[in-house]
Amino acid sequence: MIRKLIFCIILIGCVSSGFTQETPLLRKWSYNTAYLVPAGKWESGILQPFRYGINQKLEVYTHVPMLPFIPEAGVKVAWGIKNDFVLASEHNLSVPTPFLNVVSRKGIGGLISPEYDFAFILSVYNGLAVTRPIAPKVLLSAKAGLAFAIRAEKPDPQSTIDLPVIYPRMAHYYEGASIRLGAAVKGSLGEKWFYEEGVQSFIITRPENNFFFENTGTLMWAVGKSFRIRGGYILAYGKYPYVTPKWQLWPTLDFVFGSK
Amino acid sequence: MLAAVLLLFGSCEPLATSFSDVEDAVMYSKELKTTAPQPDSTLKVMTWNIRFGIGRQPWFGDACGDNTVFRKDEVIPGLEKIVTRINQVKPDILFLQECDVKSNRTAYIDELQYILDHTYFNYAAYVSEWKSEFIPSDGLGRMDMGLVILSPWPLTDAKRINLAPRGDQAGIVNYFYLHSCIVTANVKIPGFKEIPLLNIHASAFATDDTKKKHFEEFKAEMDILNAEGKYFISGGDLNELPPGSDSTDYCYEDMCPGESFHQPGDDPMHKDGSNYTPETEWLRPIYEAYSCAFPLGEYQQNQPAYFTHTTRPGHTWDRTLDYLFTNHRWRKGSAITHQDFLTESDHAPVSAEFILVKE
Repeated sequence: MIRKLIFCIILIGCVSSGFTQETPLLRKWSYNTAYLVPAGKWESGILQPFRYGINQKLEVYTHVPMLPFIPEAGVKVAWGIKNDFVLASEHNLSVPTPFLNVVSRKGIGGLISPEYDFAFILSVYNGLAVTRPIAPKVLLSAKAGLAFAIRAEKPDPQSTIDLPVIYPRMAHYYEGASIRLGAAVKGSLGEKWFYEEGVQSFIITRPENNFFFENTGTLMWAVGKSFRIRGGYILAYGKYPYVTPKWQLWPTLDFVFGSK
Repeated sequence: MLAAVLLLFGSCEPLATSFSDVEDAVMYSKELKTTAPQPDSTLKVMTWNIRFGIGRQPWFGDACGDNTVFRKDEVIPGLEKIVTRINQVKPDILFLQECDVKSNRTAYIDELQYILDHTYFNYAAYVSEWKSEFIPSDGLGRMDMGLVILSPWPLTDAKRINLAPRGDQAGIVNYFYLHSCIVTANVKIPGFKEIPLLNIHASAFATDDTKKKHFEEFKAEMDILNAEGKYFISGGDLNELPPGSDSTDYCYEDMCPGESFHQPGDDPMHKDGSNYTPETEWLRPIYEAYSCAFPLGEYQQNQPAYFTHTTRPGHTWDRTLDYLFTNHRWRKGSAITHQDFLTESDHAPVSAEFILVKE
């Protein structure tokens, strides 16, 4: 069922295709593709990371609002274009320990039981991204990556945050590595409106609670040259610790600022 | 953080479950059924708040503890103790309160299925009183705690009856908080009239008149059955003292380190759920209308013999909160407060034999 869904979503993107090159689309929304932010330019959302183009081959990024809680640094490296395929790699280090200790608390906001203390965890992600224009105003991107954690000690398996979207992204802090595969189709609907439809799976290398899938749909409105509003949905499926696999639908919203 | 907020409050599936006035109960049954007994004249009924199988361990919510969640190897021994006691007393009908079904705090164990599989009961009716996909407080996470009626005979027409919400809580707290309720079902024993069963867990910590409303709603359900000429068995954890109790304020007994009550300037002056002084007459209408397994006169003569609860780990029982009622009769001398079950829960079970009515 999941494979069929992934295939259908990619197919829908492909059949709307023709062939030419981007521009307004990439200027407004290169996030989640193999393209980098142009040198000297930046953009940041509340959910989307802050991205800055160092040069044509290197972009740095981090989640600014979460920086005090999850110190993080990432780089995206451009590997050039081969047969219309734009290639890039992503490398990211983050330390979620402060965040986990902050939300392990009594009272409101206690997402994790206060009896747990988290020792040092370093999360490492390495991935590849490839993007190809498949229509005059459409890009198809695919990603594959591996996230793993270097831990001072293994956290208690009952100290997880068992919520869709959050749980799969934190699963490798606790046990196993996380293999992430995804694809997205992104396009323009005129000068100011853009869309993205994507799928992503998380396969955790452990015997239980090890498969998660997300389908995202997003519409973006470029309000001005440096401000965009995005909204959409995440349809999440997962095998959580309480055994019953389930589908859940969540809304998404983000505000993105950046260089003109 | 924004992502977390959006996720917590934005799901199309609500994070906390809200309940209708009346809903169907969730029915459980055992795959390999045992042969139901054939009673000749009485039916042994027991009510027990099992404190979700954690025994007397200090939980943050009710025993000055720091822990919120318990590991599987802490919960399973607790459940083993509970089923050992059930199999020892051998009630025909069992009312349970605070039974967890796949809750984070009890390692996602389906406690009801465990109890069903490890006792002679074949059927159970379950209703949730505290159900939330995720409670973003104290690390509670996913919660499903409820009330159960267990029986070796099939249960029919099992319902959840919602009770009044707490009137002393802020909206957002109430949204994620437990919603007191009654589980009802009918049991038909061959040769005898069908018996309606009612199991209640009234509010423990309400400081306004919420509990009084719960007792009125509970009595109203019994009154309906009584008016229909049916003989019922009711009971549960009413979180209330019998009228005429000598001690009515347990703030000092329940006080946690660092807390202060009854002193000038203390706010609140009393610990939530520990001061029963304004409530001493709230159960009298039920006592006057129906027959308690322990008549009020007997209780008042020797109160400690009927105590069923304490909040303090390591201490013995210091108050009575658990009851069995009927509009028919209990076999004289059959009622027992199982005060020797000291380590299985923070409540002692109460059992009594109901006199069956032939068809």
